[in-house]
Amino acid sequence: MRVHEIIIFCFLFCVSFNAFSHNPEDFVIAEIERGQMNFENEEIAAEYGAALKRQRARRLAAMPLYKKFYIFVKAGFEHIIPQGLDHILFVLGLFFSCITFRSLLWQVTAFTVAHSITLVLAAQGLVQLRGDIVEIIIALSIVWIAVENCLYKETSKWRYLVVFSFGLLHGLGFAALLTQYGLPKENFISLLLAFNIGVEFGQLAVLVIAFLLIKLVLRKNWYSNQIKIPASIIIALVGLFWFVERVFQF
Amino acid sequence: MRKLVFISALLLIVACQQESKMDPNINPFFQSWDTAYEVPPFMDIKDEHYMPAFKKGMEENLSDIDEIVNNSEAPTFSNTIEELERTGKLLGKVSRVFSNLASSNTNPQLQELQRELSPMLSAHYDKISLNEELFKRVEAIWQDKDAIELTSEQRKLLNDTRKQFVRSGALMNEKEKKQITEINSKISGLSTSFGQNLLAETNGFELILENSDLDGLSEGIIAAASEAASQKMEKAETKEEGEKYKDKFVFTPHRSSMYPFLTESTRRDLREQLYNSYVMRGDNNNETDNKEIAAQIAKLRAERAEIMGYKSHAHFVLDDNMLKTPEEVYDLLTKLWEPAVKRAKVEIADMQAVADAEGQVFEVAAWDWWHYSEKVRKEKYNLDESAIKPYLSLDNVLEGVFSTTNKLWGLSFTEIFDIDLYHPDARIWEVKDKDGSHLGIFIGDYFTRSNKRGGAWMSSFKGQSNLDGRERPIIVNVCNFPAPVGDKPALLSFDNVVTLFHEFGHAMHGTLTDVTYGSMAGTSGPRDFIELPSQLLEHWASEPEVLKSFATHYETGEAIPDDLIDKLLNASKFNQGFINTEYLAASLLDMDWHSISAEQAQQLDANKFESESLKKYGLLDEIAPRYRTTYFAHIFSGGYSSGYYSYVHAAVLDSDAFEAFKEAGDVFDAELSLKLRETIYSKGSTEDAMDLFVNFRGRKAIIEPLLKVRGLDGSK
Ligand SMILES: [Zn+2]
Repeated sequence: MRVHEIIIFCFLFCVSFNAFSHNPEDFVIAEIERGQMNFENEEIAAEYGAALKRQRARRLAAMPLYKKFYIFVKAGFEHIIPQGLDHILFVLGLFFSCITFRSLLWQVTAFTVAHSITLVLAAQGLVQLRGDIVEIIIALSIVWIAVENCLYKETSKWRYLVVFSFGLLHGLGFAALLTQYGLPKENFISLLLAFNIGVEFGQLAVLVIAFLLIKLVLRKNWYSNQIKIPASIIIALVGLFWFVERVFQF
Repeated sequence: MRKLVFISALLLIVACQQESKMDPNINPFFQSWDTAYEVPPFMDIKDEHYMPAFKKGMEENLSDIDEIVNNSEAPTFSNTIEELERTGKLLGKVSRVFSNLASSNTNPQLQELQRELSPMLSAHYDKISLNEELFKRVEAIWQDKDAIELTSEQRKLLNDTRKQFVRSGALMNEKEKKQITEINSKISGLSTSFGQNLLAETNGFELILENSDLDGLSEGIIAAASEAASQKMEKAETKEEGEKYKDKFVFTPHRSSMYPFLTESTRRDLREQLYNSYVMRGDNNNETDNKEIAAQIAKLRAERAEIMGYKSHAHFVLDDNMLKTPEEVYDLLTKLWEPAVKRAKVEIADMQAVADAEGQVFEVAAWDWWHYSEKVRKEKYNLDESAIKPYLSLDNVLEGVFSTTNKLWGLSFTEIFDIDLYHPDARIWEVKDKDGSHLGIFIGDYFTRSNKRGGAWMSSFKGQSNLDGRERPIIVNVCNFPAPVGDKPALLSFDNVVTLFHEFGHAMHGTLTDVTYGSMAGTSGPRDFIELPSQLLEHWASEPEVLKSFATHYETGEAIPDDLIDKLLNASKFNQGFINTEYLAASLLDMDWHSISAEQAQQLDANKFESESLKKYGLLDEIAPRYRTTYFAHIFSGGYSSGYYSYVHAAVLDSDAFEAFKEAGDVFDAELSLKLRETIYSKGSTEDAMDLFVNFRGRKAIIEPLLKVRGLDGSK
């Protein structure tokens, strides 16, 4: 660094910290004219979030379709593991209620079909419900399923219907997350599908892990009262806690 | 089932995988950056890394210098001047990142660091520029300059290096040096007080209004004033103090608060009150008065110039500029003065006509200017900003500026998506030359945010040099355009577009540069020259041919209609008489304060000096200088003394340079574009700025093209 530059730099450093301003006003008396900078952490975080979303949209738009597809599968998966704790609990609630693998399969399928429907409808902007209300009912649905596990021994017929309607609700929850993530207008349908596939993988992973833990580690059948009741009570309590918390935030 | 377990375990691992982070104990400034294009590893740089890097950087810089000084060989260009170019690498590295981020993505810690570092660094650079042994070596080479063989670039570097030492006082005797140091420290103390007083004066006045005082104000302005009042109420120290803002509306002499009020309010008495609070800042004969301080600073500067062997401070400053003497500057300013004032008189007549038609009985005064000029604007230039914006999405405008440089110089821009910068709104492109070779990196950070300083600027993260291999630059443009709302694209105003082209012009100056020595690269030239490459590029933004090519509606894709372009270009001539007159008055005032000799500078009364000066030129009563003495922070607190004229000087240059393209009949004339690149954009400061311009234009600049551009040529 030559003295010349050094001196100029030093001058700039002291005066403005910047190389070249557009308008002389901009720096020299910026503080005088505009007042000191005010750092509002919430505002900065909100601006950062919005910028992140824009960056993601730019990066996505520049990607080939297969890459985008992979990213949305991954995003869907991450919305279950590790981010979607309430969805995990709901799926576990279903898991502990079932005597047979078949009944579990049907319930999970009902849940999946239902949340796929609302996910598509909400992403298209056809259905809308306030996010905080959805969150509250999701918490309630967890409590419901877990309490039912404790009260009834067998899966009732109308249970599928209940699971289906809660699935509709959870779909709205996924959609809210997905809008935060930003879904590009081009390739809309295929990326929505990718996201949904990711969600299914996530759910499946939860079930498989739960199954293996109980079967291999505890060497118990998942449908035993030793596990079903305490597990369901815990799930119900957590759901209740969320419910109360979300109602107070409402 | 086992397979499933395996897959899900794998998925889990992928999902939970954290990005590998660098060891936080390692300071990235002490590492070499093997990142793509040597872009700083922003993700690894933490606030606590700066100070140690600065300290070590300064140490290393001094020991580099010692090595040069202690070289037992006789001083030569290569073992002294060239070696100086290689010193201070670490300091340069950390300075660039820090000075950029402290402005574009700052926080209270960085601001505090900035305050702490500023005196440390100026002391550090003093140590180098006052190093006598180092100067002896430079001087020995310089004395011998006619006998040694040097390229013209090396000769310029040698001259500039020596000049910088001489200008910091290297040729003075001990007594003189001591005097200069004393004067410098006095000036620096006075400058600080000037700034603090001005801050206090600007914050000290407030116009507290009742509901019944809001005549003419629009909803948005009222809401902002009400918000200002409730903020004042919150911040009040006592409850009683706060009570006086309750349900009131506050306006202040800050421009963002004052201009809207002056424009909209129909209460002439209140306009006068607020306007006067603004022009009287620092002139209220209280403890924050700046009159005596300004006079003192002018006196000390004149005395310092005398010791250094110059007639005045202006002579001293200009010796380093493109215009070399005060006479040249006065010549330019006074030539522009007459047409500007003439135009301003027409504007006053236009406003008076509006006032008369309203049935007003007063003569339009300084505090009426914004209110009535707005009425004239609506009548004569009726341009609806919101009708233009949909044609000016940021992506379209970027496309426009990229294609402009493509047509001029064959450059191409490829956006890079896998490099993380300091903020997700900052975008990065690789710039390739006509032949496809790598030319540099361009970073654009366009949206406003609360941790970014206001305004717009160009800077760099890496410089250009060919000294030890081909080093290409990393240039950044920072602006404060409104961020997009929701899914809509970011839509710019035409002013924003001009700003973007302007900063991009600086960026091109920094990117096309191709010099051996980094300190002479890009925008290193004198202040009254460096705005030429930026302001020149602005002309393409308002060229209908260019505008039509990029300004397409973001929804319909249709090109901007001709009548909108006409209105837009016509509107650029609005109020130019006022704008130029107030600017020129301030420039002349600046020159007057700094062209006096030490003898003339004794016992000056600032107000008397100012009013005599302005009377001499014949400033109109309806216009105050852009800055009066007591709040002219650029020259008494900042570094623009005898330099405020620079912007209009560069404007003369750019208008005249663009005229060359007009004369050629093609704004993308191939031969001229190439010449422009070869004579100006690639040259940095390797030749005298005046020579650079003359090399391009074949003669010195004339003012007529500028008068035409600004509508001051009497044609309207
Ligand atoms: Zn500029």
